[in-house]
Amino acid sequence: MEAIWRSRWCFWLITAIHLVALLIFIRGFLLTRTELPNSSHCSDVSQSPCFFSPTTTTSTSSSSSNSGDGCWTKPAIDRLVIIILDALRFDFVAPSTFFQEKKPWMDRLTVLQNLASTNGSSARIFKAIADPPTTSLQRLKGLTTGGLPTFIDVGNSFGAPAIIEDNFIQQMVLNGKRVVMMGDDTWVQLFPQHFNKSYPYPSFNVKDLHTVDDGCIEHLFPALFQEDWDVLIAHFLGVDHAGHIYGVDSLPMVEKLEQYNLILEKLIKILDGESSSGGLHENTFLLVMGDHGQTLNGDHGGGSAEEVETLMFGMSFKKSSYPLPSDFDTSSCALDLAGKKICISSIQQLDFAATMSVLLGVPFPFGSIGRVNLEMYALATGTWSVEGANMENFDNQAKWENWLHNYADVLCVNSWQVKRYIDAYSASSVIGFSSEDLLHISDLYDKAQDNWLQTAKNLLIHQNKSYDSPIHVLTKQIDTYFNFLTNVSDLARSKWTEFNLRMMGVGLGIMLASLFLMFLASQEVNKAGVTFFSLHGDSRISFESVFAFIIVAIRACSLLSNSYILEEGKVASFLLATTGIIKLRDSIRKKKMIFEAIVLLLLVTILRLTIEIGLIKQAATSLFMKASHSWVLGVVLGDPIWTFVSEIGPILALIFLIFLLCKTIGSIPGEGTLKYTIMGTILSYMLISVHWASESKIPVVAILLRGAGRNFIPRIVYFIGLGQLLLLIFGRYFDLDKAANWKSSLVLRIVAVLSSFSSTIIMLSGKQGSFVMLAFLIGGYCIVRLDSMEENAINPTVGLFTFNPLVVIQWNLLAVCLFFVTGHWCAFDGLRYGAAFIGFDEFILVRQAILLTLDTFGFSLILPVLGLPFLALGQYLWDHAGCKRSFLLTRLSQVIIFSLLIIINFKYKLIYCLLFINKLIVKLLYIYF
Amino acid sequence: MSGTNQISFLQAFTAQLICGLGLAVAFWVARNFYSIDLISDPCPTLRLLSIVETPIVILVYSWFRLNPQECSYLKAVARSILAFPLGALLIALGAIALGAPIHIEYLSKTIFYSLLMSSFTFVPAAAVFGTSWTHWQRIFAHTKPTEAIEYMICIQAYGAVIGAWFGAWPMPLDWERPWQEWPICVSYGAIGGYLVGFVASLGFVIAGHGHHLKKE
Repeated sequence: MEAIWRSRWCFWLITAIHLVALLIFIRGFLLTRTELPNSSHCSDVSQSPCFFSPTTTTSTSSSSSNSGDGCWTKPAIDRLVIIILDALRFDFVAPSTFFQEKKPWMDRLTVLQNLASTNGSSARIFKAIADPPTTSLQRLKGLTTGGLPTFIDVGNSFGAPAIIEDNFIQQMVLNGKRVVMMGDDTWVQLFPQHFNKSYPYPSFNVKDLHTVDDGCIEHLFPALFQEDWDVLIAHFLGVDHAGHIYGVDSLPMVEKLEQYNLILEKLIKILDGESSSGGLHENTFLLVMGDHGQTLNGDHGGGSAEEVETLMFGMSFKKSSYPLPSDFDTSSCALDLAGKKICISSIQQLDFAATMSVLLGVPFPFGSIGRVNLEMYALATGTWSVEGANMENFDNQAKWENWLHNYADVLCVNSWQVKRYIDAYSASSVIGFSSEDLLHISDLYDKAQDNWLQTAKNLLIHQNKSYDSPIHVLTKQIDTYFNFLTNVSDLARSKWTEFNLRMMGVGLGIMLASLFLMFLASQEVNKAGVTFFSLHGDSRISFESVFAFIIVAIRACSLLSNSYILEEGKVASFLLATTGIIKLRDSIRKKKMIFEAIVLLLLVTILRLTIEIGLIKQAATSLFMKASHSWVLGVVLGDPIWTFVSEIGPILALIFLIFLLCKTIGSIPGEGTLKYTIMGTILSYMLISVHWASESKIPVVAILLRGAGRNFIPRIVYFIGLGQLLLLIFGRYFDLDKAANWKSSLVLRIVAVLSSFSSTIIMLSGKQGSFVMLAFLIGGYCIVRLDSMEENAINPTVGLFTFNPLVVIQWNLLAVCLFFVTGHWCAFDGLRYGAAFIGFDEFILVRQAILLTLDTFGFSLILPVLGLPFLALGQYLWDHAGCKRSFLLTRLSQVIIFSLLIIINFKYKLIYCLLFINKLIVKLLYIYF
Repeated sequence: MSGTNQISFLQAFTAQLICGLGLAVAFWVARNFYSIDLISDPCPTLRLLSIVETPIVILVYSWFRLNPQECSYLKAVARSILAFPLGALLIALGAIALGAPIHIEYLSKTIFYSLLMSSFTFVPAAAVFGTSWTHWQRIFAHTKPTEAIEYMICIQAYGAVIGAWFGAWPMPLDWERPWQEWPICVSYGAIGGYLVGFVASLGFVIAGHGHHLKKE
């Protein structure tokens, strides 16, 4: 018995090592950032080294804090209209001439293109680069605070997403600006107290394309004629929802874009009409922007180019403008469809908060690390026009010099504020920046500020004299500031948005070491079995554990490579087929169970073909996967026979499952709650088949069952599942008549647990569910059968401790294959959101999250883990000779611990879980809000 | 076990040499006469390799057939010719289970690859053992060869299969090299494994021979 205890102790030790390794890995993987409660105030600016002349320092700090006449900087605009179009891809707006080929969704927002290309208008298209995670909530947070929200912002409470960091909206409120909001109600959650007026609309129903937009339109146009606001925010959601439901290349998307085109046209007409001197919108700035992009199938959240590239369109209604010389012009130009020259500049979303604060003359948000964008600033302050680019004109030159001086002043304040934040952050945060980085930053900052002090003094002294090319000096100064600000934002990005590779490496190293330990331990346990149960030494078992170790090592290594993660379904089926072939070889040697081995191989073949067909569909919609049609045989989907098969097949499979369950109940004697539980599943299966029949495209059946209600049956199925679980948990206390044979009652219990989950999971997986369930059963049966072959052959009575690691690995690989077969994949856009809405139309966070979890991990984690006891039972399922319960339990614990170790080992599981949880929380929580 | 098919080291070496030379000649012909190689034209090259290698293997291994008194040379040749497509079918099924593409444009490539693999694995075994199931089982399932010729067959076949298995690993990588296509790197792996099998089996033959002599 000592050996058993020792082996158990060994397993716990390994589990502990695994946990430590995991923690270290997670530490490197999870990005953390501390939120600071500080906020900026008007008076703070007196601490800055800018406004060096003694007179200005006192005057700005004392006078401006009370007057509405700007406080850190002079306001350039009076009113700001921000139109946010959610999930606006860059190519929705940019002319199709900027891209290789014209797609149906391009060139729909022509009004913006025309304005940007018209000579003399101060409008410009910017390509805005968002920082991942590209979800609405994180982006709005990033835009308004000017920071980089990470996966986990320490201090962000789960229930209330209200922003506690200093932000642009708060600064406006503090400085007496009135803000009006309409559209997406995420804003109201983020800023519950800040708006003078708000017209929020529920955004959680993705299927609804129009409610939010119609609400926006209803309030937007009347508000344009009102005087009671300074900043107006209208957040349209239609494009985001159209993308989620129909994808980018779809008619509803094009219709939405065309609708927006009309809205924007009307909006600009109204603003233009009021823009004359003394009008309501004399000094109004219009900003049309997206919060993030989306992939072709309408998903977002990740960092791919499609998701991060969105748009900012700035337009000033002031008429006077000066040109910007080419050394600051970073735009790329091309001819648009009408043959006019159109230029597109670039901006970081990070810079939004700083730029807008400057334009409105409010203090920068405390945590902003963006810089004031030169082109946007020029656009609003009136230095922007293509007309009259004669720089030789002395008058223009003086104005230009003046403008540059202003801009350098602004940058001075900007740099000072960023430096202040970095200092405050590293002082307060436990996980701050490294000291070398800070030193480097300080160095750059001091250099820039000293230089500016010098330059400004010189400029003051030579104010009335001709100073040698002040423009040159100012340009150089601006470059120095740029250098500092760029360095800071790069550092912040690397700190807050990049993984800590060293930590991850250490975690991985410990993990590999524990893998080796695990191998030794499993050898040890085998040896214990040999000594205590006089099992005759068999070299083959050690061969199999070596092989199992190799397979695990290969899996672990393959998950380090991006290419293998992308092809993981194929890799898993490849390994599963390899183990299947080895089992076939064994069964040929033993001359038994050849049928099971062949069935397993056939099943793997079918699974891999299904995975590849799934990949094809995925490649069609996601740029993440490269299209590889060559891998698969084309299936003609339009065929009527195929339709018929796809309608009838799943129902037949379900009926077969019902038959299996009935047989199980019949074959095991005894009564009790467990049997009623299983019967509940049979009822659920029947309901599911009715539900599928009612959805079928075969008209007769559909008409017969139309009345059943689309949501009614799924809800009943969920309800039955829940009831079964409760029955399982509490039933054991009421179940008095114990089954005579504990083994059969155990089997019955496992079957009951499995089946109570299975009905819900099948429901959520849709029509493929019944096939996948069948595949799971067949595969599981074959694996357990093939495993039991070994021990029976060696020694029919003993061998309790010779459980085979290979079988657990097979089980796990099968689970991984099923994960891919059910149409999931390990990427941000791999979640099947449709599953969350089976049976429900509205969105409730917890409920939908549970459904989505069940769908994602149903076949790949929940069912296989719950089915693990079958592996432990192994041969005893078929062997009628009794075995002692305690041995079985020991064996069960071994199997479970071993398989947990394997599951944990598969790093991707962890990564995927994290991505999943993050995505679930972030996306599901907020995207629809 | 009759001592009639007991072969000497020299015989084994000659057989290996002929088979190896056959492969080399096939590659040489492919390059110099047809100016093709495995990467640019996998199909014709694999076909050429099979055409050259298979007859050599059949003729060489039929010489070492089991029970030469009861089974004529021609009969051994005939049964190995029969085993050639049958073995290829099994290999192809195995390859498809492991993930070989089944798209129509890959069909011919899969066929020629399977034929080549068949001539590495099934053909020599069929020539030597015929339909003797116990031998097949002992060699391939138990991996317990005893005679020199069994070592040669077993180790080379396993070498080819394991080589092909490892050859499949670079395929998913995103290096965008032409040789990552099915079945090029797999064929390279198989040929490599086969050649390693040559050397290993020769080693075993020497060791086994010494052992055999010692026993006598």
